[in-house]
Amino acid sequence: MSEATEAQHAPIRGRATVLANEADGSGRRLRLAVPAWPGSIPGQFLMIGPGALSDVPRSDPLLPRPMAVYRDATESATPEVEVLYQIVGRGTTLLSEMTAGQSVGLVGPLGRGFPVEAGNALAILVGGGTGIASLYSLARALVDLGRPVVVILGARDKSGLLARDDFAGLDAELICTTEDGSEGHRGLVTEPLAERLAADPTASVFAVGPTPMMKACAELAAQRGAKCFVSLENPMACGFGVCLGCAAPRSEGGFSLVCRAGPVFEATEIDWEGLP
Amino acid sequence: MSAPVDESVEFAGIPLRNPVLTASGTFGYGTEFAPFLDLEKIGGFVAKSLTLEPRFGNPPPRIAETPSGMLNAISIENVGLRAFLDEKLPALPAGAVVIASAFGTEPAVYAELAGQLSEHPRIAGVEINASCPHVKAGGIEFGQDPKLLAELVREVRKTITGPLIVKLSPNVTQIAEMAKVCEGEGANGITLINAVQAMEVDVRTRRPVLSNILGGLSGPAIRPIALRMVWQVARAVKLPICGVGGITDAEDAVKFLLCGASAVQVGTTNYLDPSAAERIARGIAEYAGQNGFDRVADLTGALDTPGD
Repeated sequence: MSEATEAQHAPIRGRATVLANEADGSGRRLRLAVPAWPGSIPGQFLMIGPGALSDVPRSDPLLPRPMAVYRDATESATPEVEVLYQIVGRGTTLLSEMTAGQSVGLVGPLGRGFPVEAGNALAILVGGGTGIASLYSLARALVDLGRPVVVILGARDKSGLLARDDFAGLDAELICTTEDGSEGHRGLVTEPLAERLAADPTASVFAVGPTPMMKACAELAAQRGAKCFVSLENPMACGFGVCLGCAAPRSEGGFSLVCRAGPVFEATEIDWEGLP
Repeated sequence: MSAPVDESVEFAGIPLRNPVLTASGTFGYGTEFAPFLDLEKIGGFVAKSLTLEPRFGNPPPRIAETPSGMLNAISIENVGLRAFLDEKLPALPAGAVVIASAFGTEPAVYAELAGQLSEHPRIAGVEINASCPHVKAGGIEFGQDPKLLAELVREVRKTITGPLIVKLSPNVTQIAEMAKVCEGEGANGITLINAVQAMEVDVRTRRPVLSNILGGLSGPAIRPIALRMVWQVARAVKLPICGVGGITDAEDAVKFLLCGASAVQVGTTNYLDPSAAERIARGIAEYAGQNGFDRVADLTGALDTPGD
């Protein structure tokens, strides 16, 4: 099992103050002030939940939720962290009810992020649903390094294209796809991905979204001999390698912990058929 | 300003700086918690259960959230004895108290494992996991059958001279009888309870939520069950007890001490708050001070049961 790389910051466990918690299309955008937040690498995540460390501690729901760091800023006196999420269950419903000034517990930054490398090779970032949240910091970091970047965002309809405007503000090509055609191309993210890979087989792919989407992106990349990185989203209780709940089957046999060896993996490391 | 509270306790012959340990299977090999707490400020920790050889666990899904709790069926995934002794133990701070946890499929395997572990100078004691509720071929039979449990403790007792702790399964009708068996075979302490066997179903897929179907329930949902069992066992045996099950804060821990536990283990809460054990240790001392106890150890068994 590969451990997290040296360059990253040790995680903190602390309480964050909600600065804003607003709708972003069909999702929500939560902005937090996090004292002592050390910064993060694109693709890292945090564990957050209105549980043990909140103003009114509660045991139900019990577990914090893993969420990608959408972006963070450590220049100001109190560092800020943003996450994007969808309301999918009781934990995220409670999170959505938090208002500015309230406290929420978090642990992070956690996990192994994306490789952020300079060069001339095209980087194709493919995001579906809340997977989009994992890609913004990566897109920004690659653009800052001068990499040519194409971002392909997909959702059922245009309300699911989270943070579309943030991506549009980057010096990168943005392609949107919706299944109902309410914005951009009608169809799936795999269509523009296949076109781009056909045109540029030296490209690298960074895909984050539902498992079937990542698997399809990985297959397209493999057909063209392109590298493909994915970020897995298995359920986990701790986020730092002790509950062992987030095991993902490896292509070579055995399991890797998504929280420590990942969440970012090269697609070839994963036994896609063995994922639940 | 009154004198500071004496936080030290003894459990199974092991001197502890305070009564808060962390539970096997929820604390990795200790080093994972280095960013979050000082291992030299908690009583100690029980490392992940070990098998002789490294072992992978069950396929996913391995965990699921349930009301005030969680289900798990990991199945003793661990690095194996050798890697634990050679790589994990040396990485720990000198003052950390380490209790090893042994798991096997037959008494001879437990005994060999426990023997090797107890010889290591860094290991303060060995806890045998007689109760893992989700390994078909393993622990469950030992913890649920008094004869098998007696045989297991007897075999392990032959190979180790140091502290021998038995972690009991709650999945029995008479927990006190199991504790008496451990006492009769020379165990030095009892940890209780392990996870409660349970299951959950997803009605959308009409499938069990865990790949293993059955799992172990932990977290605050099981705390009253654990407390009841600690109280029953404390009345039945003289062996020291380490109480575990759903402890989230100092008040929860104090309840276990009052019911007769000499020490406690924090388990699932480590996931949500990786600093919890240190926070709980501080809180117990505060409780003792505020309630006129000079020694935390005096909280053990101090339950007032009018009319009893």
